[in-house]
Amino acid sequence: MSEPSAAGAKLSSGQALAAFMVRHGLIIALVVMEIGFAIVEPLVLSPGNLLNIIQQTSYIAVFAAAQMVVIVTRGFDLSLGTTVSAVSVASALVMTGMVANGSTNMPVIMLMGMLTGLGLGLAVGLFNGICVSVLNVNAFVTTLGSLNICFGIATTISDGRPVFDVPREFSGLLYSGTILGVPAPVIIAIVVLIAIHLMLTWTVFGRSLYLIGGNPRAAALAGLPSKRYLTTAYVVCSLLAAVGALMLTARTGSGEPNLGGNVTLQSIAAAVIGGVSLRGGVGGTYAAVLGALFVTALSNCMGLARIDGYIQQIILGCVIIAAIFVDRLRTGAR
Amino acid sequence: MTTVAIEPASVAQPKLALVSRALRRIGFLPALLIVLIVLLVLFEPRFMGMFNIFNVARNSSALLIVASGQMLVLVVGGFDLSVGAVIALTSVVTAKVMAVMLEGAPEDVTLAIIAGVAAGMGCGFVTGLINGACVAFLRISPFMVTLGTSSIATGVALLLTNGIPVYGMPDAFVKDFGRAIWFGLPMPVYVSLSILVLVWIMQRRTTVGRYIHAIGGNVQAAMVSGVNTNFYLILAYTLCGMLASLTSLLLTARLGSGQATMSGNLMLESIAAGVIAGVSLRGGVGRVEMVALSALFLSILTNAMNLLKVNSKIQTIFMGIIVVAAVALDELAKRRSRSAREG
Repeated sequence: MSEPSAAGAKLSSGQALAAFMVRHGLIIALVVMEIGFAIVEPLVLSPGNLLNIIQQTSYIAVFAAAQMVVIVTRGFDLSLGTTVSAVSVASALVMTGMVANGSTNMPVIMLMGMLTGLGLGLAVGLFNGICVSVLNVNAFVTTLGSLNICFGIATTISDGRPVFDVPREFSGLLYSGTILGVPAPVIIAIVVLIAIHLMLTWTVFGRSLYLIGGNPRAAALAGLPSKRYLTTAYVVCSLLAAVGALMLTARTGSGEPNLGGNVTLQSIAAAVIGGVSLRGGVGGTYAAVLGALFVTALSNCMGLARIDGYIQQIILGCVIIAAIFVDRLRTGAR
Repeated sequence: MTTVAIEPASVAQPKLALVSRALRRIGFLPALLIVLIVLLVLFEPRFMGMFNIFNVARNSSALLIVASGQMLVLVVGGFDLSVGAVIALTSVVTAKVMAVMLEGAPEDVTLAIIAGVAAGMGCGFVTGLINGACVAFLRISPFMVTLGTSSIATGVALLLTNGIPVYGMPDAFVKDFGRAIWFGLPMPVYVSLSILVLVWIMQRRTTVGRYIHAIGGNVQAAMVSGVNTNFYLILAYTLCGMLASLTSLLLTARLGSGQATMSGNLMLESIAAGVIAGVSLRGGVGRVEMVALSALFLSILTNAMNLLKVNSKIQTIFMGIIVVAAVALDELAKRRSRSAREG
């Protein structure tokens, strides 16, 4: 039997148990946290709030999964947040522009808006991927560069102001719509995450990413088209960021030039807290979702307990360091 | 030849490739800088204005100090994303301590200044120590540690001030120090030049400098050779934090208030300055005099774009492209020298 991930193949039963424990440690921490906060503020465990947490998680989970795809290859994408901003503004501008020009065919307008957003995501992903794989520029520098570039694009085309009057139908489709009572963002997130999961576990491309991240030299020796796969990984990441950006734009109902402010930090934190290793080769959709759930629940609880926003920032910083420390213990145990 | 010998990462390469690379390293940036300055002098009369020159000098001094700290961390193979947050925290703490001390004892100005400066430098020291200890002992990725401490330090700075600027620093600190002109040049120029000389001496003439380079080049080899790698790792991060604090003191003194939002783009610019100066992100390679040149280059470039009234948003795009291009060119040159050697 072949394991879905390179890391899985390396684990013996005892070590698998340790990894199992760490995974469940996060769930235990989540439950303890929820109950702890519920004692202070009973609203935390109300059905309305739990539904709220699930809705919010669906956005962060998409971003965390995007980040996870490149972290697995031993990279990361610092430009994710500003890509979100640029996509949000660009797609909103296209849609409002078409409406202003007298176009009334809503499906076409929304399609063009989404295609613009996804196209921009594709462009950013190609830029990042080609710089990292073909030009051999460090992922940090590349995505730092595209962070600046996307920020510039987002603020230039919007003049630094939000783009209002995004068609109501767009929000109806991607935000307030429901299928069998399940909100649209949750459905989109589930579909996207399943697709990513299948891509990572069932395709040669997906499984190669683990080898490229875990042992680049072995990947090259094995004759994998590393450059093409690596580029594709960055493209997938940015496309997912674009999908998330469209979802967020539908939620706010406007194109926001600083929509992605905290998204980069949150996505990296969520992925790493979930157990994706920055050393590459380890991680999966489950980790991304779990990490996203934890980060969302934490900020939700702190918000309901009326903890000062600045203290929330300090706590998030501590949680990130603690999570890496746990990751370190886990890899140390291997 | 010492310039070549000090780069452990390149020791394995044959002499010829080394020399050509060293030439490229020394030649490219100064040439670009001179072209830029000549163009500006010829076509932009405002560039040579007294006020503008002072501005460029102040900005590049601040960048130089942060960037030389950043360089030390890059040389040991790390990153420091927390310098921006340290600058913010130092600014707030310094201003707050001075203001509170002055309120208690209005005549004791010297004591207030000393306490404020010490508290400010302490912020950088503690943050650097935490960063270094986490990287050295816990072997946590520097990226995540400094991301975490950056979030914490920013949170503390905002918490202390609620985002409102802190006023009430003594005039002796603001007017007589921060905005001082010594021998015709703004005070920060002298501070940054002394830092440049000190770091240069440390890199070239002391064992500390050599060990730091050795760790970045090959941490295993350094450890086996009996270098206390943990100590020097922590030292590099601590120095970086304190240099960031020093920058903050200069900026705070000039501004006259402590601000939690002061750092601006200095974190990104410090890494950009290092990268353009050819500091390798894999560690082991980096020279402070090149970092100084690239800090000057970036400051003049920004100034030129401001004078030409380039939209600040487009400046950001431009800066992003320059950073990526600098590293891409560097990689290309390395690959060419490698294939020239093999072919």
